[in-house]
Amino acid sequence: MISNQGLTMASFEIQMTVNGREVRQPVSPHLRLLDFLREELHWTGSKEGCGAGECGSCSVFVDGVLMKSCLMPVAKAQHTEIETIEGLEEQGKLSVLQQAFQKMGASQCGYCIPGMMMAATAALKTNPHADREEIKERLGGNICRCTGYQKIFDATELARDVMNDKLPTKTLEEETEQESYIGSSSFRLDTSGKVTGALKYAGDMVMPQMLHMQVLRSPFPHAEILEIDTSDAEAMSGVEAVVTCIDVPGIDGFGVFKDDQPVLARDKVRYVGEAVAAVAAEDLITAKDALKRIKVQYKQLPVLTKPEEAIKTGAAIVHDDVPDNIVMHIPIRKGNVEKAMIESDYVIEESYYTQPVEHAYLEPEAGLAYLDSDGTLVIQSPSQNITHHRHKLAKILDMPVNKVRMIMSAVGGGFGGKEDMHYQGILALAVLKCRRPVRYVFTREESIIASAKRHPFSINYQLGLNRDGLIQASRIHMLSDAGAYNCSTEGVMRKAAILGAGPYAIENLMVDAIGVYTNNTPNGAMRTFGAMQSQFATECHLDLCAETLKMDPVELRRINFLRQGDETHTRQKLESVSMLEVFDSALDISQWESGISNSRGATRSDLGLSGNRPPCTLGARQFQHETVSAGQSA
Amino acid sequence: MNAPLRKYSRHKRGRGVAAAWYGIARTATIDRAGAWAELDDGGTAKIITGVTEIGEGILTVLAQIAADELGIRPQDVTIGDNDTARSPEAAHAGATRQTYMIGNAVALACREARKRLVKELAHEWEIAEDDINCSNRMVSTVDKSRCITMSEAVDICKNKGVVPVGSGSFTANHTGLDPEDGSGSPWQAYVYGAQVAEVEVDTETGEVQVLGVWASHDVGRAVNPQGVEGQIEGGVVMAVGQTLMEDYKQADGYPSTMNLAKYILPTSLDVPQVTSAIVEDPDPLSPLGVKGIGEPSMIPTAPAIINAIYDAVGVRIHSLPATPEKVLAALRDKQKSADSEEMQAQSF
Ligand code: FES
Ligand code: FES
Repeated sequence: MISNQGLTMASFEIQMTVNGREVRQPVSPHLRLLDFLREELHWTGSKEGCGAGECGSCSVFVDGVLMKSCLMPVAKAQHTEIETIEGLEEQGKLSVLQQAFQKMGASQCGYCIPGMMMAATAALKTNPHADREEIKERLGGNICRCTGYQKIFDATELARDVMNDKLPTKTLEEETEQESYIGSSSFRLDTSGKVTGALKYAGDMVMPQMLHMQVLRSPFPHAEILEIDTSDAEAMSGVEAVVTCIDVPGIDGFGVFKDDQPVLARDKVRYVGEAVAAVAAEDLITAKDALKRIKVQYKQLPVLTKPEEAIKTGAAIVHDDVPDNIVMHIPIRKGNVEKAMIESDYVIEESYYTQPVEHAYLEPEAGLAYLDSDGTLVIQSPSQNITHHRHKLAKILDMPVNKVRMIMSAVGGGFGGKEDMHYQGILALAVLKCRRPVRYVFTREESIIASAKRHPFSINYQLGLNRDGLIQASRIHMLSDAGAYNCSTEGVMRKAAILGAGPYAIENLMVDAIGVYTNNTPNGAMRTFGAMQSQFATECHLDLCAETLKMDPVELRRINFLRQGDETHTRQKLESVSMLEVFDSALDISQWESGISNSRGATRSDLGLSGNRPPCTLGARQFQHETVSAGQSA
Repeated sequence: MNAPLRKYSRHKRGRGVAAAWYGIARTATIDRAGAWAELDDGGTAKIITGVTEIGEGILTVLAQIAADELGIRPQDVTIGDNDTARSPEAAHAGATRQTYMIGNAVALACREARKRLVKELAHEWEIAEDDINCSNRMVSTVDKSRCITMSEAVDICKNKGVVPVGSGSFTANHTGLDPEDGSGSPWQAYVYGAQVAEVEVDTETGEVQVLGVWASHDVGRAVNPQGVEGQIEGGVVMAVGQTLMEDYKQADGYPSTMNLAKYILPTSLDVPQVTSAIVEDPDPLSPLGVKGIGEPSMIPTAPAIINAIYDAVGVRIHSLPATPEKVLAALRDKQKSADSEEMQAQSF
């Protein structure tokens, strides 16, 4: 993002119409259209998800043509008519498409929705009779991380049918008064702000006197910090403050389970992208320039990138207080695995691997922090854990807990990735030093390298079974990369261990989940918290066992499922278990044909039924691409 | 929608199934959430709680729960939230705990506020509290001999000097795990899920398309079925991404997938049709019987897809993501071993 303020380049006068209003004002030619709309005109409905033309959240109409405004220099928009999400309402009433999004529940976090709404509007404008497959193609440049797209397609189809008078307008309305609202698909209360672009996320907020923050990040995966010289940066005009770890007044360190991460790197850096120093300045360009004048001397250290190596004796040490690099080891033991394996008719072994995954919430991290008139420090950010962050910050800042106020701003997707407090502390230090409001908005690249990922797992699986398919014993060994900091590793190992063996009754069990420090990007909380990795192995392994036993994989599961009154792997007695009912329901709705896998080929009677989409064929549809690149437009 | 099978043999179809389970709310530790409620002028209500929306629709769910408890409509409920200095603690937005923890806390707070109101009316009407109903924005006696609007009821209450407020704190009594053998009761509510996936594998390119997913999940009690479906669809697609394409790569500690051009996410063209079924096995240990869906929705998808690939083409992919290169390599290996078996057979 490029700031509007403190323009240093020669400006020129721009003339355009935005949402029906004449605009005529001096502007710096290096601004992108998106910056001009958001930062100068405060039409913040259009969002920045990537700044590189990949996500579509910045989509607007330029002279009626759908464009990604992050790719368009403002100068190219001279003498054009711009329409943003805020211009879609018709006489103060939601457009048919906006109403359809509301009706179908097509918006979740809402961050992709402004761009999606523009793309869907364009799709129906271009072809008012577009079918579902064409709608998909026309929305192909817009990413949504929350909804799975289905309700967006449903909504667009609904709007199309209402607009073509195939369905009455009242289809868009909510069902009327009801006895009970539990079990009713009531309209989402937050939809109207999301489909109109009215909802403000942290990066949309501004305050008088607000400063812009930028963060200097580690270029090395593992290095000692010999010296940080901030004097040149501090001397720059427009720079209000430079902060490093020496500005921490209290006890440094945050984390979800263990406070092992400093607000800004202290003594050494442990991963590429770790925050080292930050600048608060009058504008973004100055803040970025100042980063270049901070001199950090590093001495590189041996780098650990593989958990298998990190647990070997003599391996480099990531955190001095954890010489074996083991963040957490959760064991589960039940029965006599050794004996049960020997007595099993079959012992089947295989290894599985799952990769690190980025949350890719469409809203990159952002925060606005300031001091209330009574001296309370306020931080507005899309934090998933404000209570915890308040505690941590009070300790770090040496302030009473009630003088730290965390406000959870609208969250543009979290999926666990916004549970870590990895920038709120830096904002706090900057505000306390400058005593002015400070805003920090991540770029997509920063968001990707600085924030935690889903833990990758290497899993060795051994299952002992009898000829009839009954599981006798299970041994599961999971080794996982925590990356450079603990984050949620402890909890992720725990959940992986407790749930990993799956919803099956197993008398003899030996599970180990081990998380290990390395110099990779930290891994932390992500939707399922270790349960999808471990159960991925279990569910693949059961199919492998079914193949060996020449059994129907459905039958193999069915005879082993946990039932009411059974004990879990942690010996908890279950009062109520819906597993069988749920399983049969899935088979039922899919019209599943029972039998052994990979033996029936295309003779399976349940292939190609309703509930499938048609397969994509490259180049199947030829339609005129209305989206032109920025360079061709003006 | 029917998706006819393709004629050409290079495209192979298959189906796989997988089951899963999950625990609701914080793991192996006591969990808690607080909420305040007030029946307000005009027959509206205010609910204040510490943490809500991250996109899943919890604001609406809480408004529905409050409306149900108070006998008003969701749109009559205003939710103030997410401020550590202005609202009671409700802990964090994660762990599939929002509907369960905060939903129950809101219900308890509403019950207390409603009780305050009803007590004043019972006094006014000289009848027992149990003989008063609140529903459809009306407050009435069971025999309907008296019936006033909620707005009037709030006025009566306030004229008697009583503000109908309430607070609720909900606790989930989870215990820690034994450090040696892991025994313990990490959750009080469990949910179960199962999914079927249908794939088409292109045996020439190794490309896998997931065409359909049928997902069945126990959520306890679905407060907003459309929202539950939204969570299932979103979870399935996130898992499709992890199964087929997403991969955060680093070489010697240096990340190399730093933008959305390199880190590939599912787009509208990659996603399967998702058919959801909601199973309701209410939680017996909490006031509402609700459980949750946010995270468990994505657990069975990946193995169902991997098992479907095996069904289609007879190769097992053991490491994620199942990229075209990996599938193709596995197909070649399979072909090689089939060829050598054949050669061995011929040489006998
Ligand atoms: S495409 Fe413009 S912000 Fe992503
Ligand atoms: S609703 Fe689409 S990204 Fe969240």
